[in-house]
Amino acid sequence: MSDELPEQFDLVVIGTGFPESCIAAAASRIGKTVLHIDPNDYYGDVWSSFNLEALNQLLEQPSPSLLNASYTWHDAATETNWTREALLAKSRRFSLDLCPRIAYSNGELVKLLIKSNICRYAEFRALDHVCMLYNDELVSVPCSRSDVFNTKTLSIVEKRLLMKFLTACADNGEDKCNEDTLAFRGRTFQEYLEAQKVTPKIASCVLQAIAMCNANTSFEVGMQRTQRFLGSLGRYGNTPFLFPMYGCGELPQCFCRLCAVYGGIYCLKRSVDNICQATDSQELLLSSAGKTLRATHVVSAPGYLPGMVCELQPHISRGLFIASSALGSEELNKGGGGVNLLRLLADEGKREAVLLQLSHYSGTCPEGLFIFHLTTPAVSNDPAADLAVFTSQIFKAPAPQILYSAYFTLTTPTNTALSPVKSVYCTAAPAYELDYDAAIENAHQIFSQLYTDAEFLPRAPDPEEIVVEGEDPSALNENSLPEDLRAQLQEMDITE
Amino acid sequence: MEDYKFLFKIVLVGNAGVGKTCLVRRFTQGLFPPGQGATIGVDFMIKTVEVEGEKIKLQIWDTAGQERFRSITQSYYRSAHALILVYDISCQPTFDCLPDWLREIQEYANSKVLKILVGNKTDRDDREIPTQIGEEFAKQHDMYFLETSAKEAENVERLFYEIAAELISQARSKDGSSAAAAAAAARQADTGSSIGLSSLSAKAAQSNCCGGSGSGSSTSQAG
Repeated sequence: MSDELPEQFDLVVIGTGFPESCIAAAASRIGKTVLHIDPNDYYGDVWSSFNLEALNQLLEQPSPSLLNASYTWHDAATETNWTREALLAKSRRFSLDLCPRIAYSNGELVKLLIKSNICRYAEFRALDHVCMLYNDELVSVPCSRSDVFNTKTLSIVEKRLLMKFLTACADNGEDKCNEDTLAFRGRTFQEYLEAQKVTPKIASCVLQAIAMCNANTSFEVGMQRTQRFLGSLGRYGNTPFLFPMYGCGELPQCFCRLCAVYGGIYCLKRSVDNICQATDSQELLLSSAGKTLRATHVVSAPGYLPGMVCELQPHISRGLFIASSALGSEELNKGGGGVNLLRLLADEGKREAVLLQLSHYSGTCPEGLFIFHLTTPAVSNDPAADLAVFTSQIFKAPAPQILYSAYFTLTTPTNTALSPVKSVYCTAAPAYELDYDAAIENAHQIFSQLYTDAEFLPRAPDPEEIVVEGEDPSALNENSLPEDLRAQLQEMDITE
Repeated sequence: MEDYKFLFKIVLVGNAGVGKTCLVRRFTQGLFPPGQGATIGVDFMIKTVEVEGEKIKLQIWDTAGQERFRSITQSYYRSAHALILVYDISCQPTFDCLPDWLREIQEYANSKVLKILVGNKTDRDDREIPTQIGEEFAKQHDMYFLETSAKEAENVERLFYEIAAELISQARSKDGSSAAAAAAAARQADTGSSIGLSSLSAKAAQSNCCGGSGSGSSTSQAG
C-alpha cells in the first residue's frame, strides 16, 4: 500500500500479545498516538490461536518463547473417519490456543471488557461443567443452587453440608469475622475444610474445583478463591466461567481493534532492528525496515527488543490433544459435547494442572471433535514428561479417541524487564493462571508508569452516542449521550 | 427490548481510499464527505431499515484503518452475516488486490457469509475498470455485484436494502446454508448459543447470593 507510515509517535508497542494489546488500546484511548507492530504475520504472539496447519508449522520451527515442541498423529488408533487427511482438510476450522484461559464471569477480564466497552468485540461460551476426579471417576461439581439440588453426585445430606459450607464462605469477611475462622488464619485451607466435618467427597469438590487449592494453599487464599468462584455464579450459564468463542487468540485482537478505532496504526510483519536514545531530545529512535521512527515510549513483549539478551527458562508445560470423543459420561457432554473444566492434582496435591475440554460449540474445532488443553507449571524441559502424571489420570479406559497430540514449553525471561534503554518497558510472559488477572495487572502497571493518573481503559461510547459533525445533536435523545455529557445536562436541569 | 426483528452484522473490506467509510456515512447519516476527525472512536454504525414490513437493524462495521498495512484482525470477520468488498472503479490497483482480499475472507470469515462486490466512485470520469469486468469477477467468485457512488448517493441505499432483503430471506429459509440462517437457528437452539457480554451486562447486575440463581438461566443472545 502506498501510504507511508508517520514518523513520530507517543508510544510504539512491539508484539500484539495480550498485555501489549491492552497497553496499546489504553494509550490510544486517552489520545496518545500509537504504532503497534508485530514481527509475525498474525496477531497475538504466544497469546494467539492457530489453525491446525499453522500450529504444526509453528511447532516445527520453535522460537525462544516456545520450546521443546513436538506433535504426533495417532493414525493407527483411528477407528473413525478422522484420518490425518480429514483433519488437515478442516484445518481452518480449528482455533488452537497456545495459552488457553477461561474467565470468571465476574473476574478482572470480564470487568475490564465491560468497563471499557471492548466487550462489543467479543463473544463467549459459558462453560457447561466444572468437573473433578473422584475415586477415578469424572463427575460434575454442582455449581448453581439448582445444580446442587438436581445432582446425583451428592447425597441429600451432602447437599445440605455443601450449601451450608458455601454459605459460610460467602459470608466470611473482614466485617463479619467470627471466632470459627479467626482460628484458621495462617493455616491451610485444607485444615479449615477438615474442621468443618464435611465428607471426603465434598472436601474434594471444594479443594479441587471451587477453591482451586492444593495441600499447601493458605486459608486466606483458599477463602478468597472460593468467594471469587461464588461471586461469578448465576451470571451467565450454569458455571462461573466463560470461554471466548473462536479461542483466546480473539482477546488481544479485541483490544487492538479498540486501539485502531481510536487512531492506533497497525503493522504486522514489522520488527524493530535497533533502539537508541536520541541525542537531541528525550525521545527514542527506532530503526525499522530502513526507516527511523521517533517515540516517547516503547513497550515490548519479552524477546522482541533488539540488543536485549534475554535468558529464558521453561515456565509452562502444555499438552494439546484433538480427539473424536469427549472425556467423561454422556451426562457431562449433552447435546454433542460440553465445554468443560477439570483441575487435576498430583504428587499429593503439590502439583496441579488444568484441563480444558472444548467442543465445537466453542468455535474452535469442527463438529464431532474435541480439543483437550492441558496446562501445568513447567518442572523440566520435557513437557510430555511434566504432564505424564496428569494424562495418565484422564486418558485411561474408557479413554477418548486421541487423533493428534502436541507438546510444547512456554518460556519466561529469567531477568525481567532489564531493558538496555531507559523508557523502554517490557511486558511479562504468560503466567500460569486460569484467568487474565496477572496479565491485566501487568498491563495496567506499565500503563500507569507511562501515564500517571490517566484512567486505564475508560468506557468507549457506543456508536449511537457519538455526535458527528454536521448532525443535529437535538435529534438525539438524552439517553444516547455519553455519560459525562448526560451528567452535565442533568446538573443544568437541577440548577435551573 | 429494542424494537427490531433481526440484527445483521455487515463488514466492509477493501484497500484504503476506496470509499468504505464514505459508503457507510452516506447510508447511515446522509453525509459526504464525512468529517475526517469524526471517524475517531466510531467503529460501527447502526441503521434500522424496514424491509417487507419488518424492522431490521443493520450494524455496519468499518476497518478502523487496519487495512492500510494489511493488518486487519481476523476477529473483525467473525460472525459477519454479509461482507462488502469495495474497490475504486477509477483505480486499477484496488481492483488488482481483490484476490488477496478474497483469500483473507476465505481464511477468516464464515464460509456461508453473503458476499457483495462493490465498485465505488461511479461519479468519477476517469474510470479504469469497466462495469463488465467487475461483473465478471463477481460472478466468478459467487458474489453479488453493484456499482455505487457515495458522493452522488447513487445505489448506496439500494446496496444496503438489497443486502437486508437477502439476509431476511436467508434467515427465513432456515436451511442452514447461510450465515444468517445459521444465526437464526442458533438463537433458537440453546446449546449452540454464545454470549455477548454487552447484551447481558444488564443481566449480570442481577443479585447472586451463595449458590447463585442457576435455575432456568438460559444463555439467549440478543443478536
